[in-house]
Amino acid sequence: MSPTRREFIKTVGAAIASTQIPPETAAMSAEPAPIAAPSPAPPQAGGKRKVIYDQDNSGPFGTDILGTLMMLQAGNIDLLGITMVTGDAWMKQEMAYTLRLLELMGRTEIPVYPGAEFPMLNTKEEWLLRLQLYGGHRLDPWLGAFNKNNGGPDEIKPLPAPYDRFADLKGQQDHAARFIVKTVRENPGQVTIYAGGPLTNVALAIALAPDIVPLVPEIVVMGTGFHVFTNAFNIFFDPEAGRKVLRAAWPKLTIVTVDLAEELHESDEIAPGRRMVDEIARRAVSPISDLFQRYAVEPLQQNPGRKLFRMADEMIAAQIIDPSIFTKSEQMYVDICTTPGPRYGDSMFWAKDWEGTADAGRSRVTASDSRVFVNPRQFYLGPPPSAGLVNVLLEADHDRFKKLFVDLMTKPLKK
Amino acid sequence: MPTSSGLLAHSAMVSPAPQTPSASNGKKKVIYDQDHRGPLSTDTTATLMLLQADNIDLLGICTVTCDMWAKQETAYALRLLELMSRAEVPVFMGAEEPLLNTKAEAQMRYQMFGSRTLGNEGYLGCFAKDAGNRDDLTPLPPPYGRFARIKAQPEPAADFIIRTIRANPNEVTMYCGGPMTNLALAAMLAPDIVPITKEVIFMGGGIHHSSSSVNVYFDAEAAKIGFRAGWPKFTLVTTDLAEQVHLGDDGKVDAIVDRAHAPIADLFRLYEQAPQRANPKRQSFRMPDEMMAAHVIDPTIFGGYDDMYIDIVTHNDGHYGDTSFWDASWKGIGGDTAGLGQNNPSIKAGRVQMLKDINKARFRDLFVDLMTRPINGFK
Repeated sequence: MSPTRREFIKTVGAAIASTQIPPETAAMSAEPAPIAAPSPAPPQAGGKRKVIYDQDNSGPFGTDILGTLMMLQAGNIDLLGITMVTGDAWMKQEMAYTLRLLELMGRTEIPVYPGAEFPMLNTKEEWLLRLQLYGGHRLDPWLGAFNKNNGGPDEIKPLPAPYDRFADLKGQQDHAARFIVKTVRENPGQVTIYAGGPLTNVALAIALAPDIVPLVPEIVVMGTGFHVFTNAFNIFFDPEAGRKVLRAAWPKLTIVTVDLAEELHESDEIAPGRRMVDEIARRAVSPISDLFQRYAVEPLQQNPGRKLFRMADEMIAAQIIDPSIFTKSEQMYVDICTTPGPRYGDSMFWAKDWEGTADAGRSRVTASDSRVFVNPRQFYLGPPPSAGLVNVLLEADHDRFKKLFVDLMTKPLKK
Repeated sequence: MPTSSGLLAHSAMVSPAPQTPSASNGKKKVIYDQDHRGPLSTDTTATLMLLQADNIDLLGICTVTCDMWAKQETAYALRLLELMSRAEVPVFMGAEEPLLNTKAEAQMRYQMFGSRTLGNEGYLGCFAKDAGNRDDLTPLPPPYGRFARIKAQPEPAADFIIRTIRANPNEVTMYCGGPMTNLALAAMLAPDIVPITKEVIFMGGGIHHSSSSVNVYFDAEAAKIGFRAGWPKFTLVTTDLAEQVHLGDDGKVDAIVDRAHAPIADLFRLYEQAPQRANPKRQSFRMPDEMMAAHVIDPTIFGGYDDMYIDIVTHNDGHYGDTSFWDASWKGIGGDTAGLGQNNPSIKAGRVQMLKDINKARFRDLFVDLMTRPINGFK
């Protein structure tokens, strides 16, 4: 049996030979090589890590909201602001839930910024046409804000319990991208970006101000994948933004892949017979207990076989709150397909040290036809020019992750 | 609660540019967005036209990477303003790179698929193989003798565009002489400016001469966003139109060198007349940006326009940046009647007014007149 793509990549990474070739990015690229500094220690400002929280916060409950709750509850996080981006829902719908959630959590000091209402180029109409022309997305049939029943960007439905009503709290006027630029410049080397939705706001920020890229110690992104599926919503909703952000030379860009996120689900047990959500609904304080009771415990009582969603955004939060939960990661090259065909938004990975592998020697060729330019450092196993070098999380300590999640949900509300 | 900070916070080195909300005295308010290639090019010549026209209120000059890197273009624009004694016109540096396109990919696409051959549109601007890098200022001769003393504004071009259009609703004409990177960023950050922009004028693409040109294929994604955004009026100069007039035609250059004032006479003598005399076979460039300027200054020079739909190919292949056109009256010319074929535009295609029928004599007269007027004669 041939190895799965993921095993292959692991093997390639593990088989770094004792090559003397300096690790260099695609030599054809005229751009500066991505800086691949080994994980800098998370900057601690007064013992707290400063974070901009960029999210497609689709209410009332789900991976987006749970990621938000984790970041609100974590004692070592200084949440500088929440920026909204259309993705799982329309930006204004997300804003309504987020503002009300902050009121319920008593955290009205956190500013919320409106961001991109639309992806850079993708449109609902073209998406629907692509699905018909090329076939649907069998493994991830989710269109987010473009879902049939989701209405338009201005259709904000009444908020259900426990949100109950719209917030008195208002969002800021400034655009999310400008808030990101301004905040990163004011805190150089200190602001971690949590990117839990499509990467539109971040792409706009770095297009507007490329100087912020080296000033962000870490950006954590959810999306892409090796074998569960390679085309994940946060990327295929706005592939151009995904490509732009994943290619930028951040000091550290960490990816939570769909493969890793699928290892853990919100309906999992923390111990045999003890589901996390039951535990939280019982032990947490309001509004967290209400949210879990209504949107996790009750649906599971009605349909005990149901599996709640994978813990994608919760993993981003965990990487920022306690990165030691992830026990294995690897530097890899990544790129996103932006050709508007069947693979629009697809992710591709290449091992960082592909040159040291056994096959790399065979692939090093010289051209017999002088018209063919062959870059010996970028052939067969190597990445395409301009691919980004990123830090891919590969393994998580499930027990510690679950413990962190339950602990944060059940502790008293942070003030 | 932190309050909104409005625009980006800037260092206090340069005071913010004046907004000139309604002090234009009947003049046409123009934001001039340009990949300003020095020392003399279609870009620079158009800049001179707008600086010399007495019916134009030039609110600001934005630069965008394409013909050169934005930093180099900015250096040329600033120094040109000094030479023209127009230091009051603020300069805003815009996008230093296209939204997605990279030099390495542009080069690799040409290897795989060949360069654009039709119309000799193989030009890659600052993505050319031997061109310098984004931050290179040193390999460049200092613009016009030395670098300018005046400085660019600290605000990014896209923010200036947003702020200015909001302060002058329905009054601002956006002249986009380079890729639409700045315009696309502005429209994404502030979709509310789209319906209150008076007109966008852009040069690029074509039907017969070539299916694309550098302002489109340098940043195809920005072009797609810009064309599709839904501006009240989008005027297009195609390569087909621009190729009808070249700078060297009709003795324009000699007339300007003879009659113009400094520094315009010197620029044309040094950078156009001298190379032409040294190499009589040299083909002078077409006049796309000058045509855009002519349209802004005196639209009656053009006999009309075709109403068209337009869309852009963003596939990362040999067609990257190709333009597709459809007749806006496609329903009336066979439409999608069975058996007659379908002529419909793509579902999100943009609508443009494609200029045609330039009055060459009047265009020549306007151009020579503007170049030979006293410098700032209207001030």
